[in-house]
Amino acid sequence: MTPGKQEKQIDLLQGTLDLLILKAVSLGPLHGYGVLLRIQQLSGEELVIQQGSLYPALYRLEHQGVIASEWGESENNRKAKYYQLTRAGRERLAGETLKWNRMAGIIGNILRATPEEA
Amino acid sequence: MSLRSFTTRMVCQSRSWFRGVFHRARLEREMDDELGCHLEILTNELIRSGLSPVKAARRARIALGSTLVHKEEMRASLGLRWWDALWADLRYGVRMLRRSPGFTAVVVLTLALGIGANTAIFSLVNAVMLRSLPVRDPQQLVMPAWTAHNWPNGPGISSYGDCRPEKTSQDRGGCSFSYPMYQAIATHKDLFESAMAFAGPASIDVSGNGTASIAHGELVSGSYFGTLGVQPAVGRILEPDDEKPGAAAVAVLDYGYWKQAFGGSPSVVGRTIRLNDVLFTIVGVADAGFTRLTPGKAIDLWVPLTEIRQLGIPWGGHGADNGWWLAVVARLRPEISRTRAQAALNALFVNEALHGAKPAWKATDDPHLMLLPAEKELMGFRSHYGKPLMLLLGAVGIVLLIACANVAGLMLARGAARGREMAVRMAMGAGRRRVIRQLLTESLLLSFVGAALGAVLAYAGASGLAAFFAHNSFEPLRINLHPDARVLLFTIGVAVLTGIGFGLAPALRGARANMSAELKGTSATTTLRRRGRRFGLGSGLVAAQVALSMVVLMGAGLLLRTLDRLHSINPGFDTKNLLLFSIAPELAGYPKDGIPQLYAQLQRRLEALSGVVSVSYSSDAILDGGLWSGGVDIDGQASKRVHTQILSVGPDYFHTMRIPLEMGRALGSADMAPTERAAVVNQAFAREYLGGRDPLGVHIGDPNTPQWMIVGVVGNTKYLDLRSADAPTVFFPLTKGGATFEVRTATTPAAFGAAVRKVVNDLDDAVPVMQMRTQTESVDHLLFSERLVARLFGLFGGLGLALAGIGLYGLLSYEVARRTREIGIRTALGAQRRAVWVMVVREGLGLVIVGVAAGCGVALCVTRLLKSLLYDVRPTDPATMAAVATLLLIVGVIACSAPAQRALRVDPMTALRCE
Repeated sequence: MTPGKQEKQIDLLQGTLDLLILKAVSLGPLHGYGVLLRIQQLSGEELVIQQGSLYPALYRLEHQGVIASEWGESENNRKAKYYQLTRAGRERLAGETLKWNRMAGIIGNILRATPEEA
Repeated sequence: MSLRSFTTRMVCQSRSWFRGVFHRARLEREMDDELGCHLEILTNELIRSGLSPVKAARRARIALGSTLVHKEEMRASLGLRWWDALWADLRYGVRMLRRSPGFTAVVVLTLALGIGANTAIFSLVNAVMLRSLPVRDPQQLVMPAWTAHNWPNGPGISSYGDCRPEKTSQDRGGCSFSYPMYQAIATHKDLFESAMAFAGPASIDVSGNGTASIAHGELVSGSYFGTLGVQPAVGRILEPDDEKPGAAAVAVLDYGYWKQAFGGSPSVVGRTIRLNDVLFTIVGVADAGFTRLTPGKAIDLWVPLTEIRQLGIPWGGHGADNGWWLAVVARLRPEISRTRAQAALNALFVNEALHGAKPAWKATDDPHLMLLPAEKELMGFRSHYGKPLMLLLGAVGIVLLIACANVAGLMLARGAARGREMAVRMAMGAGRRRVIRQLLTESLLLSFVGAALGAVLAYAGASGLAAFFAHNSFEPLRINLHPDARVLLFTIGVAVLTGIGFGLAPALRGARANMSAELKGTSATTTLRRRGRRFGLGSGLVAAQVALSMVVLMGAGLLLRTLDRLHSINPGFDTKNLLLFSIAPELAGYPKDGIPQLYAQLQRRLEALSGVVSVSYSSDAILDGGLWSGGVDIDGQASKRVHTQILSVGPDYFHTMRIPLEMGRALGSADMAPTERAAVVNQAFAREYLGGRDPLGVHIGDPNTPQWMIVGVVGNTKYLDLRSADAPTVFFPLTKGGATFEVRTATTPAAFGAAVRKVVNDLDDAVPVMQMRTQTESVDHLLFSERLVARLFGLFGGLGLALAGIGLYGLLSYEVARRTREIGIRTALGAQRRAVWVMVVREGLGLVIVGVAAGCGVALCVTRLLKSLLYDVRPTDPATMAAVATLLLIVGVIACSAPAQRALRVDPMTALRCE
């Protein structure tokens, strides 16, 4: 999170933020900042997420009913909004994960291709 | 995505959306809290890493970015953005409209008139044509009807205007059946859950409840209410046992009649009343929701059909087995299709009709029975009023178009004034779509306010029209105008279409604002644009209004000419100063033998009233909605049977009616004795049926009735209506049954009503006076459709004309104001004042002429829809067209003259200085 590491970090691929948020909250209820930390931690501090784009994404996912929110207390006794996965969210995560793995495999295969003698 | 996950997502999203909309304050607070929490945690972390609190807070804010932008995106995530925009547009629109109250008032009023007129006519169309039967599952009900090439041989047929009139000219048809036929249908339990029969209404004399009065009673089978699924409001409804021979005489009251005649008292159950002088026990009141079976028919009470003989009602030979007098409605079993039931009933009917004990037809007549949906077949007054109502709906549609064009013109002019505002908006980054949306929101707002006001006008207007209908009907009429979902949807739909209709063009024009010109403030003065404007949208809208007004006014003109022609028809008798009323002493229990004396006495006493010229009576009044016709045998020979109109008349009839006696003598008091056999025919009868013979002394009649001898010939009169050609008519002496009295007065006949009523009551107060009316009123009733459509077309045409005039005036005023400088320069350069005046008027009249020409074209195409209402006038009558065109031109000149006058007053110096 500290600015010094920024050179090593890479930006998020378009459209993957939703999937990462779903994965992050699937491991247990989190507030917004917690989601940010969890993703960064899971990525081994390799990924940077625009903090501003996190909340619209959270609201979008809640609007779609894949995550649900609840107000609770944070570590330092502050009121915070906690998100967790709903049933529809679990289905979505499983489906998206499958899709992602397939896509990654296919793209990996393509990129590994070497020129053949004609 | 599976259907299930799609629906759960939809449910989630709409729930979340509504939460966002309705708990907006909480949502905003939570967004602030959540972002605040994020900032706080981040700041604390930064402090822990060694930054000063101030620096840490600053760093955290930078890392998070603009919370305003984030919140906007969070709202967008919840799908709230378009709602917010709409809400803002609406608030802005309300503010704009409040800033120009004059403009708003004119537009709202115009729209209220347009939309209100449409809603009013539509609620009548809804009440008369569309409303479904107020009974249980009306779509299950079917109604049998027969057709054949000829009238059935033998049975007397009574019908009461319940079903659709026969469509083709070759075939005869009806929906009246005999009692045995009804029973045969009702016993088909394999096809029908149940079936019922009804006949009427009959005018029934009610006594034993205050003063004697007339009620409209329907004769029904015991299964009537059960089949329809109608429940009692009080007491019980009729049951099949009430129809059995020997059952007690009972009656069920209509809810409205119960309220009105019995004050809604529940103790009415068990009371006895006299109906046609027979004791009946009231057993209950039908449910309030059961307002009608046949559209428009008002029924006051129901009695079992087996009481027909007791009540002295002559239908079907007093309900004889061979009389065809019952309309039948059956409820299909759910699993049976209509075609299947029809096949079964048709076989039954054809067999009975061709091979029964008394065959009604020969096989070549090809009799058939059809089973039709009751909702469609029960026409009632729909067959009467359907056509004029559709015409009126068309006319109000045109009025609404005119109103739209008018308002669009106003919006355009206002749009030009707001060009700068739009240019500023677009310069600040508003997209064209956004500007169009803003302008459309404003016009929709206007049209909805107009529609709300219009709905109020519509309710008043429709009630007035319904009263006009009822006042002009020969039969009691009931129109249920309660607004329902259909009327509401119609009004909303019209409001939306109207808002888009008048708002779209100005909105598109607004979004085309020439940004740099508007901002520099030069656009309004460039004369270059004027050339393009000359035939621009505003001018086109005015011409369209003129053209549309022309169409409606043309319709009004044609109908006025028709009415004029109809009124100039000579009915063959003097319709002025003639008061009519009917009595039915036989039904009131008056002894049969006493009736001729009663009539003679009444005639004498009425004649003694001052101001009464002479008095007579007849079985029916002519030109009063009724017609009696039948066959008579010339020379008493069946081979010379002819069809003729018939009327029974009292002494002094021709003199009272002022029908000229052409030959022989009229009927006098001596001819009223039952043994006398004198009859009178009209000239049409003598000419058509007696050829060149001397009519006097010719015998007419048929083998069953004694021979009548023609003793006189009178002039032709109209009988059923004014349009029919003079038809052969026979006048017999009236010796029995009810009568309509004709009172010839010296002055206004309506003023004699009370005196006449008193004479009748003094003579016998058990005999109620029915339907007091003047002959002129009756003729007006006959011309109801023509008068209704003429009146409303005139009203709507006038409205359209006024709107078009205002539109023209507005356009020219605007033009003159815009061209003040040009006019000033022209005047300064020496243009004659006259030339300036002509210039403005020419521009205005040019539009009117274009509009009139287009209107003529459209009118030529559409006025033939009026054809069935017209008489002796062609739908394309050139004289009417010329008159309407002249009217429009005159209005055009008037509308032009004020702006032209203003142009004259332009002072060149001020005009040049003002910019």
